[in-house]
Amino acid sequence: MDKKEKTVSLPWFGIPRLFPYIKKYRKKLILMAVLGIGASLLDSIMPLFNRYVLDHFVAENTLDTLGVFISLYIAAILIKVACDFTSTYTGGKVEMSVNRDLRNASFRHLQTLSFSYFNQNNVGYIHARVMSDTGRIGEMVSWGMMDIIWNGAYLLCVILVMISVNARLAMYVLVLLPAAVALISFFQKKLIRYNRRIREINSTITSDFNEGITGARSIKTMVIEDTIRNDFEKDTGEMFATSVKTGRVSALFSSSITLMSALVLAVVMWRGGNLTMENVMRIGTLSVFMSYALGMIEPIQGLIQTMSNLIAIQVNIERFTNLMNTVSDVADRPDVIEKYGDTFHPKKENWEPLIGDVEFKDVSFMYPDGNEMVLEHFDLKVPHGTNAAIVGETGAGKSTLVNLVCRFFEPTDGQVLIDGIDARERSQLWLHSNIGYVLQTPHLFSGTVRDNLRYGKPDATDEEIMEALKLVSADFVLDKMDKGLDSEVGEGGDMLSTGEKQLLSFARAILADPRILVLDEATSSIDTVTEKAIQDAIKKVIKGRTSFMIAHRLSTVVDADIILVVRDGKIIERGKHNELMKKHGYYYSLYTRQFENMAADLV
Amino acid sequence: MTEEKKTNDRFATKRQLVWFFLDGCKKYFLASVFFAGCVSLLDLINPRIIGYTVDAVLNDGTYELPAVLERWIASIGGPAVIRENLWWIALIVISVGIAGALCRFMWRFCNTKAAESLVQRMRNTLFEHILHLPYAWHSENHTGDIIQRCTSDVDTVKMFLSEQLTSLVRISVLIVLALYFMFQIHVRLAFLSLAFIPIIISYSYIFHRKISGAFRHADEEEGRLSAIAQENLTGVRVVRAFGRESYERERFEKKNTEYTNMWVRLMRILSTFWATSDIFSGLQIMTVTAVGAVFTVHGEMSAGDYIAFISYNAMLTWPVRMLGRVISNLSRAGISIERIRYIMNSPAESDRPGAVEAPMDKDIVFDHVTYQYDNGSGDILKDVSFTVPAGTTFGILGGTGSGKSTLMYLMDRLYDLPEENGTITIGGVDIRNMKADWVRSQIGMVLQEPYLFSRTLSENIRIAAQDAGMPEIRNAARIASLDESIERFQDGYETYVGERGVTLSGGQKQRTAIAQMLIRKPPIMVFDDSLSAVDAETDAKIRAAIHENSGESTVILIAHRLTTLMHADHIIVLDRGKIAEEGTHEELLKGNGIYRRIYDLQTMQENREEE
Repeated sequence: MDKKEKTVSLPWFGIPRLFPYIKKYRKKLILMAVLGIGASLLDSIMPLFNRYVLDHFVAENTLDTLGVFISLYIAAILIKVACDFTSTYTGGKVEMSVNRDLRNASFRHLQTLSFSYFNQNNVGYIHARVMSDTGRIGEMVSWGMMDIIWNGAYLLCVILVMISVNARLAMYVLVLLPAAVALISFFQKKLIRYNRRIREINSTITSDFNEGITGARSIKTMVIEDTIRNDFEKDTGEMFATSVKTGRVSALFSSSITLMSALVLAVVMWRGGNLTMENVMRIGTLSVFMSYALGMIEPIQGLIQTMSNLIAIQVNIERFTNLMNTVSDVADRPDVIEKYGDTFHPKKENWEPLIGDVEFKDVSFMYPDGNEMVLEHFDLKVPHGTNAAIVGETGAGKSTLVNLVCRFFEPTDGQVLIDGIDARERSQLWLHSNIGYVLQTPHLFSGTVRDNLRYGKPDATDEEIMEALKLVSADFVLDKMDKGLDSEVGEGGDMLSTGEKQLLSFARAILADPRILVLDEATSSIDTVTEKAIQDAIKKVIKGRTSFMIAHRLSTVVDADIILVVRDGKIIERGKHNELMKKHGYYYSLYTRQFENMAADLV
Repeated sequence: MTEEKKTNDRFATKRQLVWFFLDGCKKYFLASVFFAGCVSLLDLINPRIIGYTVDAVLNDGTYELPAVLERWIASIGGPAVIRENLWWIALIVISVGIAGALCRFMWRFCNTKAAESLVQRMRNTLFEHILHLPYAWHSENHTGDIIQRCTSDVDTVKMFLSEQLTSLVRISVLIVLALYFMFQIHVRLAFLSLAFIPIIISYSYIFHRKISGAFRHADEEEGRLSAIAQENLTGVRVVRAFGRESYERERFEKKNTEYTNMWVRLMRILSTFWATSDIFSGLQIMTVTAVGAVFTVHGEMSAGDYIAFISYNAMLTWPVRMLGRVISNLSRAGISIERIRYIMNSPAESDRPGAVEAPMDKDIVFDHVTYQYDNGSGDILKDVSFTVPAGTTFGILGGTGSGKSTLMYLMDRLYDLPEENGTITIGGVDIRNMKADWVRSQIGMVLQEPYLFSRTLSENIRIAAQDAGMPEIRNAARIASLDESIERFQDGYETYVGERGVTLSGGQKQRTAIAQMLIRKPPIMVFDDSLSAVDAETDAKIRAAIHENSGESTVILIAHRLTTLMHADHIIVLDRGKIAEEGTHEELLKGNGIYRRIYDLQTMQENREEE
């Protein structure tokens, strides 16, 4: 989907947008920064100990202060380690906490978004927002900052120490700095581009493997092993070429850094050597400079690396904040929330019982991402206990009415009345708690059979569960599982067949005892006997409830109280089966077509 | 996880396999190791230059150098001349720098080249081998697991050979050379420095051994957290319809907190490790510095020696700490190689000696065929015998698990029928004596759940007929009633399908698979419930078109829907692995058996209409 990586640019790298999430960790971040600076400071003055050895002990041939020297040295090590330990540990903690908070915030926000968001973005995309963007942002917030502090402070200290020890020699070294910065940024930029390309090819190769393995049956039956292999080798060939090219650049990079260090060292030895001979500088000072000459390149490299990470991270920040700023287009009004509570804090004591009268009153509707009215001035009364069926070809728009009843979408114009009151006058959770939904592709959650059946009624007893299973004749599903209700259904219920999942989801809906039931009939191939069991289950389930059934097989809708016929997104016919048949309209042709061959044969 | 069964001994040991993969890139690896050694050596020259400069040039003392260099310096006028022209030293440092840069470049370049050739060879070999493994192997092994072996395990081996093994060599060379120079400078001080090394290495080794389990555990936890998010998103309708947002939130936040706390604990362990080894290294440097100072003051070594020694010692700090980690990773690479070896040692499909390419436009005879899968679920087919006369249309009806697809898999040699379990012959030739590729190329199978490749529609249709042109593609699409759908797509036949393109509906996928098969014009065509997702009208249209275009081909139809089957010349009804009934549509209707019962179920509506 979005394999091409892109970059965006935000003011201050988008960090200000994260303030609400990192505010809480202000103190920790400050502690981290202070200790980090402390550690860098100590790191940068370590070579001064050598200088003392050379200029004091060796030059003056004495060991008078050796005890103090060792104590100071050990103290410096311990303080440095303590600073490092505390700042790294705090950094890790902040990273993890920010990650956790961002994940929670995005997950929580997703629970309140309307279906138009889920229709417009695929699961993989949304999932990446919750799981990977948050991780990268958290990492950047703590380690990015840490790196800048460590390296920046170290460099600054080194420069200051150099200037204070010997300003003239320091100038010679500092002249070389801009060159180093330019060189490193040049390579860094190039490498980022190449590495991005490598990641792209890498994911192609992974999907090639996936295709070669999951598609094994098709590959074998069509005998196309050679075609598939040639394509694969093309991809690995490109990978090789790109990687070697990248390897060359990065080899050039590391060797030019070697050269850079050698250059700095050469300058220090030449100019510094002269200064020493002129007795302006002592040997200990020279050794300090030589240590710095070799140790300065790495922090520069680290700083530039962090900067490019900051640039790259903006995309993630933008995606994350966009998600958080997405406003649900189906939201309860403040006064409704006041009375009935919100998604996470329902005020159940104020909830009225739901009877199940549904009425569409002059409803016009257009999908948020559509450009055409799919309903115009539509009126329909579905009194409680009525069974309404919706028929039409695949993709004709049969779900629209159901989406409106469930308030997954709101009418563009007009009202949907539940028990005579506009659905918007009461909370979504109130409505949803009274609706049962059985999907075309049944969705179970990983966990036990019991967990799944209890989903709509968390306090259901085992007796109630068994009763519901029996009612839809799904008890046989348990027989083949060795742990009964405690059997695991696997991720997405994949240890069960589609038909079994369907039956369990019926039982789950029944158990919640909803007043309004929505059924989306399965189209996938279920063998005839299971299909019969499902048909029987449907009949039992809809008794005494208001139900909306999206049907693909017309044989299942004949008994419906009202049939709505959908074509190209619009409702073109409605009535009972017999009325519609007499009409000889679209329903009639749909119905007869399904049995055309059979009829011809019987004549 | 690893039921390492049914493997042969193509690669008896891990080393054999690694050696096989290394074929062709060994020279790059050798060059890379050589240059890595050179880099270490050159890195170690600088402290000597510094030492010489400080002692002989700046301090006017003496400094031990190899005799050749001593003589050369004497010939140009001794240290005094160098003192006058200090830029010579700078020049030497830069020359060493250039040589170091060159060697570093060669090392990194050869290393990349070696690693990439290796990984390319591994991927290509694995991929090709997997393509030729029997279908039974594919159904026994989990896709995710195999992919992991082909991707992350391959990367682990690559990392091991290209990064870890060369750094092992480089670090070892560095340590040995540095120690050699240090011993030359001052034996007792060198012993002191050396004493710390085993402690630091083993501490790092033991730590990394221990922590790797914790990392794996953290990865698994992340997987679980990720699965909860995934489930919530795919099941968003269920969550909303049952009003369970609060529950979902609690579930996610609970796992999220657990996962976070686990990482915080891990971070504490890691920070403690770093801190402790920082103290070890710091103490080592401190000891060497202090004791070195004492020796220098006592006149046992010069200031230059002291600086050189300290530099060598500093150079050792990181490599020594790395070494423990590298060693602890060795075992991980061993596991990965073992996992790859499992794939490479699984025997590929092979034809019997003297396998033939017999004509396939002949009668197909199943003779007392009994079959069971290896998973111990019992016989899926029990003594099944029937004949499909050449050029006729043959129908198979059966419920889920009746064994109807297995019949076709056996005929297509996806599974091999054991010798004693009956025979399948085409034109009198046992298919086990034919070449598997030949049998499959002659049988066009449309599977119930067709697989489309992430390419364009036209590439998908002609995937098994590479030389087919646009007219043939269009024709096949037309017969499969796919042309109208394709024309509705913005990019028509060039529409990208699969992972990165539009997702086709179940019916469109099935029709693409039909077109894919038709374009091959095979003498035997099998439709394994391949019209289940298209509506009845299109089903009829496709069948009529195929009937017109199948020519002399033998057609086998497998279906649940009777309307699909009823025009077949002969129909068998399969029930739990046995033929329960057979005959034409009319005969079976009269029979009052399973066929009749299914017919009644499916036409219940029709009957009601007549009442």
